[in-house]
Amino acid sequence: MDYVIHLALMSGIFIILAVSLNLINGICGQFSLGHAGFWAVGAYSAAAYSVYWAPPILDFLNLFIACGIGFITAAFAGILIGVPCLRLRGDYLAIATLGFGEIIRIVIMNMDVIGGPRGFTGIPKWSNLFWVYLWVVITILFVVNLMRGTHGRAIISIREDEIAADSMGIYTFKYKTLAFVLGAGFAGIAGALYAHATQFLHPNGFTFMWSVIILLMIILGGLGSITGSVIGAIILTILPELLRFFGETVSQWRMVIYSLLLIVLMLWRPGGIFGKHELKIPFFGKKENA
Amino acid sequence: METVLETKNITMRFGGLVAVNNFSLKLGKTDLVGVIGPNGAGKTTIFNMITGIYEPTEGDVLLGNKSIVGDHVALITQQGICRTFQNIRLFKDLTVLDNIRLAGHFKMDYGVLSSIFRTKKYHAEEARLKEEAMELLKIFKLDTKAHHLAKNLPYGEQRRLEIARALATKPNVLLLDEPAAGMNPNETKELTELIRWVRDHFQIAILLIEHDMKLVMEVCERIYVVDHGVQIAHGDPSEIQNNPKVVEAYLGVQDE
Repeated sequence: MDYVIHLALMSGIFIILAVSLNLINGICGQFSLGHAGFWAVGAYSAAAYSVYWAPPILDFLNLFIACGIGFITAAFAGILIGVPCLRLRGDYLAIATLGFGEIIRIVIMNMDVIGGPRGFTGIPKWSNLFWVYLWVVITILFVVNLMRGTHGRAIISIREDEIAADSMGIYTFKYKTLAFVLGAGFAGIAGALYAHATQFLHPNGFTFMWSVIILLMIILGGLGSITGSVIGAIILTILPELLRFFGETVSQWRMVIYSLLLIVLMLWRPGGIFGKHELKIPFFGKKENA
Repeated sequence: METVLETKNITMRFGGLVAVNNFSLKLGKTDLVGVIGPNGAGKTTIFNMITGIYEPTEGDVLLGNKSIVGDHVALITQQGICRTFQNIRLFKDLTVLDNIRLAGHFKMDYGVLSSIFRTKKYHAEEARLKEEAMELLKIFKLDTKAHHLAKNLPYGEQRRLEIARALATKPNVLLLDEPAAGMNPNETKELTELIRWVRDHFQIAILLIEHDMKLVMEVCERIYVVDHGVQIAHGDPSEIQNNPKVVEAYLGVQDE
């Protein structure tokens, strides 16, 4: 049972990570590969708060504050990295953000006060299904509402055609930075929830491979589709675990099967499962006579 | 007549190449002026300097009486110059309506938090924006296709949408970069009417680059001719047609 709950928690955390990366990569069209870095910043700063400074108040209040700290520190890291890097385009931006993500990891590795290479222990177990999924809902609602306003449209226009967006009077750099910083901030919240779910952090848990896996989730689900990010995150969290249960042979080959499934899916639906479409839930308001 | 846009001896050098040399132009409040010249003459470079995509190496661009050299592209648009592109640059995967709405973005008066929390201001501003956009689309006979994706429109309508989108920024000066490129004679004829009508209806100045001589001669009141980055002639259509320098630039020197 603990195993199932843990998987559900991790799914929720990866949904937040995928939706926030989708804001940067899929919706704004900026190729960022540093998401694990922001995730780490949020996780470590939130954990530092709860280990060293948290006052003896209700756990969920402390968790809420930790999430706030995760958001602010990761968003701040987003500003530091985004402002110089977002002048780059495409592949160059990907490489620059990848580099910064690794720098963050190495810096954490060398900070003894938060465990350094030994890992950060003694983090209280505050995350539970309710709070994780509440943040999932908040994240999704935030991004969806943002997209339906003029600022969100400005962010989409950058993906569509940056020169045309500039020529329509939109300060593209400002909106690129906004998308990047908000994306980083929500990754920080995911980090805070993660720290209080696993109770142990290690710099090697935030390698560049994780940035790639989060990227896989949003590509699999469909770049630009929020529904797609959610589905992609769930599939890529559950699938490798699910393959353990199909007998010894499958279990041994599970990472190979997992990779093959990804290849097949990409061949079958190159635009991702959902493409750019969204699953429309009537409750969240009609999409204006579309 | 009152001058709305003036370029004073603008020059653009790319390393050793002089793309445009000492180009001066004046545009009155409701002028309809054309810039013509052979391929590679530097016409689009002139547009790019006016709209801020390039900063002129020398010279000045005045909008009203204010120099706009060095201003950000977006700021220049906000001050009243808007353009279309030679190779249509619509937001292809967005709807026709969203394309127009984006052009009204910089006039929107609510913050990011307002859109997250759906405040009253958000609803009021969005309603206003949509109404204005639909009105404009109706003028351009695109209102029935408001929810189509821009990329699914036929070519002629994409051109029309691009002009409508530029007008949605409420400019004083509209720059059209080869609006008739890729159009058949019928579509070009409609476009000729449209350009003239836009000028009369919106009371704005229009500057256009075009290869289709019939359209230019029919619609423009004055024409600047550039060749190899240098202005070689300036005048009304009949003057231009009879100017030996222009004939030479287009057809080459006649062998004796």
